[in-house]
Formats: sequence, structure tokens, C-alpha cells
Amino acid sequence: MSDELRQLAKAISKVENLDFQALADAATLPLDSAAVHVIGVTGPPGGGKSTLCNQLIKELAVHHRVAALLVDPSSPFSGGAILGDRIRMQALVSNPNVYIRSLSNRGNVGGVASSLVSILRLLMHNGFRYIVIETIGAGQSEVKIASIADTTLVVSVPNLGDDIQAFKSGILEIADILIINKADLPGADSLYSALRESAQNPRLGWTPPLCQTIATEGTGISALLEEIHNHGHWLRQEGRLLEKRKRAAKFEFLELSRMLLQKHLDAVPAEVLARNLNRKGINLLQKLNKVYDELLNTFSEV
Amino acid sequence: MTPIRVLIAKPGLDGHDRGAKVVSRALRDAGMEVIYTGLRQSPEQIVLAAIQEDVDIVGLSCLSGAHNSLFPKVVEGLRAKGAEDIVVFGGGVIPDADIPGLIAAGIEAVFTPGTSLEEIVSWVRKRVQKNHE
Repeated sequence: MSDELRQLAKAISKVENLDFQALADAATLPLDSAAVHVIGVTGPPGGGKSTLCNQLIKELAVHHRVAALLVDPSSPFSGGAILGDRIRMQALVSNPNVYIRSLSNRGNVGGVASSLVSILRLLMHNGFRYIVIETIGAGQSEVKIASIADTTLVVSVPNLGDDIQAFKSGILEIADILIINKADLPGADSLYSALRESAQNPRLGWTPPLCQTIATEGTGISALLEEIHNHGHWLRQEGRLLEKRKRAAKFEFLELSRMLLQKHLDAVPAEVLARNLNRKGINLLQKLNKVYDELLNTFSEV
Repeated sequence: MTPIRVLIAKPGLDGHDRGAKVVSRALRDAGMEVIYTGLRQSPEQIVLAAIQEDVDIVGLSCLSGAHNSLFPKVVEGLRAKGAEDIVVFGGGVIPDADIPGLIAAGIEAVFTPGTSLEEIVSWVRKRVQKNHE
């Protein structure tokens, strides 16, 4: 068992490091298992995402194998990172049903790591029934998690601003389930009324429920789990889950190609790049466009 | 460029985490990915976290005097799980007289108060590079 886990952990590192062999191996693993439920958790820094994940994982792991992917931001200067989400999950470390992995976003904007979907393939292959993804602390536009997770939970907390914040576009719109955490704090009631409006808007046939939790005490967790399962059941009807996973696979390719481009660009000194963009910038972009065209044509031939 | 992955952990019942945090930040500023597990970890928890996170190296911080019993347990635990390639180093208020014993038990370096951050960062980098060769 521990050997298997070690291999999984090492395979994840290789995928994270964009090792082509590892990515190709991962790509052969199916992403369409309907037995697996991928749950994304996003929301502002300090909103209680890790504590909430800890509670959810604890409950789910009573009967099932659960994997947690915890994404934290990398430093824009050194590229290093402090990955500290495990601190809220200490009791889960020795639970044999739980695998916890911290990931740096490695400069990828949008709240997640670019290799996340490939890592999902590895985890599904290793028999995890639930996969919980915690994004980096998100503001208003970090919405990539919705392209990856089956069910997206958006955590909100009282006193972050007035009701106009709840009215804006972006992160609130991607919620399959809205959560008011720290619901015992003053201001929770006005947040509830502000969010109720967003929550009651059906999106593609699903009306996001609005849950209230106090994650540190475990309050509201069982009601939240029920809503998560409800959404899971709904997804499994009429091929919705499969549709989601297909979009995740497309997203995986987009993110990896973006990351590859960035990796190559990083290797070119800014001065050299700037000089050449001025001179033959249009040419470069045209060439790139042509490569994409050719690539996509090979797709349609199959 | 593959970032070095480091686990910084505080084994045992010791609440003094300033040093661990300062070292974590220095390693981050040197471009490493630092998994910080927080206070009051058992050696078993540290071993499991190191394996789950696939780290290259584990740094243990102890200021309570229990280093002689706790540090070697982490090394033993890693060996028992076939993860002896994960390097272990330590730091804290550790008497000079204890250091040879810790080194013999497989803690490859021990950094005591007064060590510069540059020294720790450069040792970690060199040691992990050596492992990758």
C-alpha cells in the first residue's frame, strides 16, 4: 500500500514537472469514470476553505477513499512557494483512506495548477472515489476550477463588502453550491439575503443551493454533504457528468499548451524577445497560428 | 526547471515555530516549494506527509530538547517505508554534544542557532542536487 502511494506521489510530481512521458502515460488513463466525484472548493483567502475541506474529507473518508489536492500560490519573484493547507488537515494524515497532496500553481493564473486534470486521471486510476480540490485564495475572476470540478463550491464569508459584491459577475456565477462559512459572525444575515438572489438563479437547469456552515465546529457539514450528493446525482443524469469531463479534458490540453509556451518563453531573455517581437512579431504569431491549424486538422482527420 | 520540494515539520510537543517559519521563507525565496505542516506532529505523521507530498528533503525543527528521540524516529520511519532516499536534516537548540549521535542516526546536517540562512539554503540545494545526479 505504502509502495503504491509512493509511486502515485512520484507520478504526480512528474506530471507537475511537465515530463512528456508522464503526461503521455496519464493521457491514456480515462477521465470519464462516473463512480468518481470531483469536488472543487474556492473562495477568498482566509475564508475557511481548508478547514471546510478537512471536515468534508473526514466525513467522506469514513466509507470511501478520498484524495485532496490543495493548491497554493507560487512566489512571482522566486518561483518558490509556501504550501500550508495541510496544517488544517493534521488529523487526516494518518487516515489510510486519505491521500493529501499540496500543489503550487507555478505561476498559472486562475486559481489552479495547469497539470491538475492530468493529476485527476492518475487519482481516478488509483481508485479514489472522491477527489477534493482546494483552489488558491480566489478573488472575483479565478474561475478555472469550474472547468475541472464536477461540483464547484464557492465559499463566502461575512463582511467582505456590501451587497454589490454579490451582484458582480465572476466567481459567484460558477457556484454549483454557495456556502456562507463563519455563519456565526455578525453580517452573516445580510450576506445571506444578498446571496439568496444569486442562489435562486437557475443556471443550465440547476439552482445552486445556499448552505451555511461553521467549519471550525463542523456545523452545517452534513447538510452541505447532502447538497453535494444531490448535485452529483443530478450530474449523472442525461449525460451531464460526461459532458463536464469532456470539457475538463479540453481544458487540460489548453492549460498544458499554455504552460509549455510559457516554459519556452521563460527561457528567452526579455530583451531578446522584445527586440524580435518588434522586428518579426507578426511572423511569429502567424507561424504559431499555422502550427495550431495543422494540429487541429490532424484532430479532425481521425 | 524542477523546484526542490521540502517538508518543514515540527515534531513533538513544542510550540516554538518561529525558526521553522523563517527557514521556510528563506527556502521559498530560494525558489523551493516548502510544505509546512504546522505544530505538534508525530514522527509517523511526518513520514506519511513526506511520502504523500513526494518531497526531496525533510527539515525538522525542535526546541524542546526531545530531538534525540524524535529526529531518529523520522529517519527510521522513512527507511521502513522504503523512502530512504528522502534526506533528513534538523535544527533548533541542540547541544553540540548531541550532534554526532544525530548524524550517526541519519540526520545528515544539524543547524544550530547562529547559522546563516544562506548556509542552510545552499546546503539543502547541494544535497538535493547530489541525490538527483
